[in-house]
Amino acid sequence: MIWARNRIISLVIGFLGLVLFDKFILGLSASYDYVKIVVMMCGVFVTLAVSLNLINGITGQFSIGHAAFFQVGAYTCALLSSSVFQSFSQKQPVLWLLFAALFGAIGAAIAGFIIGLPSLRLKGDYLAVVTLGFGEIISIIVRNQKALGEAYGKPVDKIHSVFMVWGLAVLAIAVCRNLLKTAHGLSFLAVREDEVASSAMGVNVTKIKVTAFVIGSAFAGAAGALMAHTKAFVTPQDFSMDVSFIILTMVVLGGTGSITGSVIAAIIFYIIPEKMRDLPPSIPMHVPVAALFGIIAAVIGMRAVQQKIHDEKLKAAGLYVLSMIGGTIVAFVLNLLLKAVPPLQATIIGSNLRMPVLAITLVVLMLLRPQGIFGHHEFSLDWVKGLFKRKSVATSGGAAQ
Amino acid sequence: MSLLTLNEATIKFGGLVAVNSVSFSLETGDLFGLIGPNGAGKTTCFNIITGVYAPTSGKIHFDGKDITGTPSNKIAKLGICRTFQNIRLFSSMNAIENVVVGGFLRHESTLGSALGYLPSAIKETNKLRSQAMDLLDLVNLADVAESRSRDLPYGKQRRLEIARALATQPKLLLLDEPAAGMNPQEKMELLEMVRKIRDELSITVLVIEHDMKFVMNLCERILVLDHGEEIAQGPPSEIRNDPKVIAAYLGEAV
Repeated sequence: MIWARNRIISLVIGFLGLVLFDKFILGLSASYDYVKIVVMMCGVFVTLAVSLNLINGITGQFSIGHAAFFQVGAYTCALLSSSVFQSFSQKQPVLWLLFAALFGAIGAAIAGFIIGLPSLRLKGDYLAVVTLGFGEIISIIVRNQKALGEAYGKPVDKIHSVFMVWGLAVLAIAVCRNLLKTAHGLSFLAVREDEVASSAMGVNVTKIKVTAFVIGSAFAGAAGALMAHTKAFVTPQDFSMDVSFIILTMVVLGGTGSITGSVIAAIIFYIIPEKMRDLPPSIPMHVPVAALFGIIAAVIGMRAVQQKIHDEKLKAAGLYVLSMIGGTIVAFVLNLLLKAVPPLQATIIGSNLRMPVLAITLVVLMLLRPQGIFGHHEFSLDWVKGLFKRKSVATSGGAAQ
Repeated sequence: MSLLTLNEATIKFGGLVAVNSVSFSLETGDLFGLIGPNGAGKTTCFNIITGVYAPTSGKIHFDGKDITGTPSNKIAKLGICRTFQNIRLFSSMNAIENVVVGGFLRHESTLGSALGYLPSAIKETNKLRSQAMDLLDLVNLADVAESRSRDLPYGKQRRLEIARALATQPKLLLLDEPAAGMNPQEKMELLEMVRKIRDELSITVLVIEHDMKFVMNLCERILVLDHGEEIAQGPPSEIRNDPKVIAAYLGEAV
């Protein structure tokens, strides 16, 4: 059977790919853990973004409490691995990870179901407020429980497995992609598009919403369990409201509803702040100020290109590059000028710039590409072909002029 | 036995009585028209029948079952489906995907099989797609199957809504102003299409429409509402000459 053959081939390729990736990362970071942890945390955030995309992007339910499910999973695992399953987790660490993910998923799915059932009768902003409140409730409970380590947190055994973390991410991607390929997935999209019409077509809207919530929070919980073992410590700060917003930002910037977009945005927006920890400890103020004005200049240029030029892609791309170069020049010149201004000679700590840079990236992307990096598209061979086709049409159009 | 019976159905929104004690019954195979001036309660009638609102009092029976207050999605499963006055397509989905959602309510494959992309889900999706294609053929939209529904012109969107409703395999089809915004040529085609739906698919049709020529040509029986109350009921020839109807709505004989 073609289906069975294709399925087995893709499973084998996926498995081998993950094993190789795991070995490669381990080889790369044999002497120190940093690279490995960053790679694993990327996987965790990919899972989180893809699972929130199922709720927010595909089913259209505006949830801003995703970190709460993440937290439920992490703490479920932290509790179990230090009590009932202590000997098991120490003897069979990698096998235990599988169970940890499962328990985390179950814990978070139960939480998702409990929250989902009553609150999914709400729509839009109201649902957002409830999910936000739920996130805070979980966080407050954890901060006040002795058994959960209160605000200090709880140590967990260190178990590192790139294979498991990225295996989970791939599973989340596969589940969402499979769903969208079937009629079931279309009924999820229908709920996003129009609840009244879906209901009139026989779609059980509440059931679909609860299902999306349960699957999405189960993946978040599994990711939480794996993160607990990756970082070897769980603390309430890892699951604060900021984290919910960062996950949401990943989904929106990737393109709401696009799985590919969520994956790419998750990686970018985890790596950027992480790499910025390496910035020099003291940076004179005039550098970021000049850079900001440079970015503004570049964005103004690119917006103008967007509004004026619609058809000639090649010309537009050239002008984009020009406006970026222009922005860079503006930044350099300003930097030289501002050096002379005394208040701007004070220095700031480089790594403090992480959140402002993230925020500015967000603003710039929303100005230039409000539909997100990928819009509604998915990465596929057809999509790439379509891209080239459009480009070739554009070049021939340009040549004619 | 009647297919659909409304028995003194009434709905009040606060002090406003939108539909007041309306009774009528549809026999299998009827082509029934519901007319009346704006605000007469026609669409509200549809909303009561399809479970968007539960009536304040009165009973609705369909196919021998009491469906008063049953939720919309269950009513669709029982065999009543509708189109909307203000077109409610799934706008960022393709035409064919819209129709697939319509056919989805009688699905047999489990969600698990969809998440695992198992043969049962794939087979069902393919089956629904080919059924959807047949329905698009029926409403002459096969050529735009892959176009995003929001990009379609108005008349085609209306026909797509009919195809989506037919995909639920209804026994009773409710059309809410299907001819609105169509040119005379399109109206003629629609008329033929609705007749075909009744004759070939043996689906009972209840239609709200403002275009008198269209209704009088299409329907075999007509109910006239005004201010939520029934003022006349009968074949077009009677309705056309009913002095109450003329006073309330028509203004002049058609």
